[in-house]
Amino acid sequence: MQGTELVLKALQAKGVKYIFGYTGGAIMPVFDEMEKQQHFSFVMPRHEQGAAFMAQGLSRASLSTEHPQVGVCMSTSGPGAMNLVTGIADAHMDSVPIIAITGQVATGVIATDAFQESDVVGVMMPICKQTYMPLAAEEVEKTIHEAFYVATTGRFGPVVIDIPKDVQLQQTAPDYQFNPRSFRPRLPGFYYHPSPERDVLHRAIGMINRSERPVMFCGHGVIASNAGAMLQEFAEKTNIPVAFTLHGLSAMPADHPLSLGMMGMHGTIEANRAVMNADLIISFGMRFDDRVTGKLNEYARNADVIHVEIDPSELDKNVATTVAINADVYRTLHVMLSDPELVCKPRRRWLKEVEANRRTMQESMATELEKGVGQEGKLLMKSIVSRLSDLTEGRDIVVPDVGQHQMIAARFYNFQTANSWFASGGAGTMGCSLPMAIGAKLARPDERVWSISGDGGFQMNIQELGTVMQLQVDVKIMILNNGYLGMVRQWQTLFFDGRYAGTPMQSPDYELIAKAYGIPYRKVTLLDEVEEALRFAIDHQGPCILEFICDPSEIVLPMIPAGGGFGDMIVSNQAE
Amino acid sequence: MTAKPMKRRAILAFVQDKPGTLNKISSLVRRKMYNVDTLTVCKAKVPGVSRMTITLREDDEAKVTQVLRQVEKFTEVIRAKELERDHSYWREVAIVKFELEEKQFKKLQQRYQLEVLDRQPHDIWIVQIAGPTDRLDGFLQDLGSEHLIEIARTGVTALEK
Repeated sequence: MQGTELVLKALQAKGVKYIFGYTGGAIMPVFDEMEKQQHFSFVMPRHEQGAAFMAQGLSRASLSTEHPQVGVCMSTSGPGAMNLVTGIADAHMDSVPIIAITGQVATGVIATDAFQESDVVGVMMPICKQTYMPLAAEEVEKTIHEAFYVATTGRFGPVVIDIPKDVQLQQTAPDYQFNPRSFRPRLPGFYYHPSPERDVLHRAIGMINRSERPVMFCGHGVIASNAGAMLQEFAEKTNIPVAFTLHGLSAMPADHPLSLGMMGMHGTIEANRAVMNADLIISFGMRFDDRVTGKLNEYARNADVIHVEIDPSELDKNVATTVAINADVYRTLHVMLSDPELVCKPRRRWLKEVEANRRTMQESMATELEKGVGQEGKLLMKSIVSRLSDLTEGRDIVVPDVGQHQMIAARFYNFQTANSWFASGGAGTMGCSLPMAIGAKLARPDERVWSISGDGGFQMNIQELGTVMQLQVDVKIMILNNGYLGMVRQWQTLFFDGRYAGTPMQSPDYELIAKAYGIPYRKVTLLDEVEEALRFAIDHQGPCILEFICDPSEIVLPMIPAGGGFGDMIVSNQAE
Repeated sequence: MTAKPMKRRAILAFVQDKPGTLNKISSLVRRKMYNVDTLTVCKAKVPGVSRMTITLREDDEAKVTQVLRQVEKFTEVIRAKELERDHSYWREVAIVKFELEEKQFKKLQQRYQLEVLDRQPHDIWIVQIAGPTDRLDGFLQDLGSEHLIEIARTGVTALEK
């Protein structure tokens, strides 16, 4: 068998259906084999970065389905592989399992600065979970199986396989001994510890029982281990409110009485005050990122911390734990729920306090939400998102880009469907939304998918409209256009005396752009047009673009300034 | 004013003997903004496994634990731990070329148990010295930099008691 056949044989065995790839000299043999076999659905992005984000969208959205898939992106050597870098680094930061297969120049000319040669393994090593370069065709199949194992075992992450062109073309005798089903790679250094240890678990349960003001944190690990329903059950059983990280959103219904919404820099008042006043934090599958904690030495000073996390290197990294549980979130919750020693306290006083804070939050938002427009009569992003949330009853998949609209969507979309929110969190990569939404739609074709971008982020991967056009992927694209890089503008307003350096931005005529790609388009400038436009998108079969002209002076609040503590939370904009 | 030098730490890692492992570990140490004091790699008892000894300077225990956990996270790293100074031997070897009159040389040789590798005309010596870092440093100080021509040091390797 040829190396290329083994590549595809392994992908097929791993249940891969879609390949997001861009061809070129060093990967042509694999594409040629793909054309011969006609087994995979091939998706062509218009830039390799798009391929990496499409793969992410597919992996993330399919995670909660019956048949989880790992997104596979493919590129040629040199510039092709380098264009994948941002998408792979993003997947690494957000623990998303994807496989990147890159063509490499032939082994005979590696390290001679050959045409389109880059040191892919060297570049990718610090930004992905593992890298491979098979040097003979007989290594290819096992390498790919090992790559899938590493990507999807323990804390998820991207894996890169760099295959030299001559290895792709090499012939080798098929290995009949190899059974992909029973194959377990020999990885003596691969640490994976999914089951919680009894004695630490008992200590944790004792602390939960004693606690009067506990709060639970729901991180990406809850989504990744499909433990949302179990977390909800645990919260209900113990009367403990739940605060969410950006990636923990949608793990349980956003309007659940015990849900505090998102915490951290742009978190809700009720979430951040609960963290500040808690005597116990029980955190599930998260890593205490600086956007969550703010100033570390002021963070949750009165609280003990129980940290459940699959990656041991995250324990005690930013926040010192009282009890560290190195285990899978699902398994831990499962054992905790059935523990007879778990006491179900009503915790009425604590929940009343939470409720009071929730009301403060709602009141601070009410006027603006009701008005729906800013001072100049331009649309407020929060009014658009909350209308979208109402119309879709919070059931759709939302894929935001990065910036103000992302924080607003995180706060104002009333998530009802488990695993329905896919954002770039750790890396904060502008331009991720459109390609990631394409991947998400392919994973869950029966659900509606909204790609929400600002005018800045949208123009970063605007070329992926070509992919939408060619495949007619039914993605509802919303551009919240305020003529600025809004989040940076917000910081300039608050911390740089209103000097708008490098943030004003002109957009092309999106109507003409939409027309050029043959995608239906609606422009919305007035509040009472919002609902009609959204209804149009909902009713329309196929992709469409909605452009909303937004107020550039909208500020995402509350906000804890970078490096500030929870006491520094800005709740209302004094300038107005 | 010079800051007090931080505590020297030795990290021992058993790693899979394959290309890229050293690169990963040294990249991580760089990312954590440490300067590697010394780094030695050799084959371990088990075939296919190397042992790597890294020394760096850090006072904060929690930071060292973080480095260890992140080193251990690499698929290629089988086990990593810190070697306590009191419970392990830290040794290095140096080959030193210098110019010194025979009489003075004899004194040094006796004190430091130098193994003479070569004696060249004009009182030029090439010797080997082994031992703890401070012993090597002591020898170099006694020798005096004005006599020194060239030096090669292995860096620290270590073994638990």
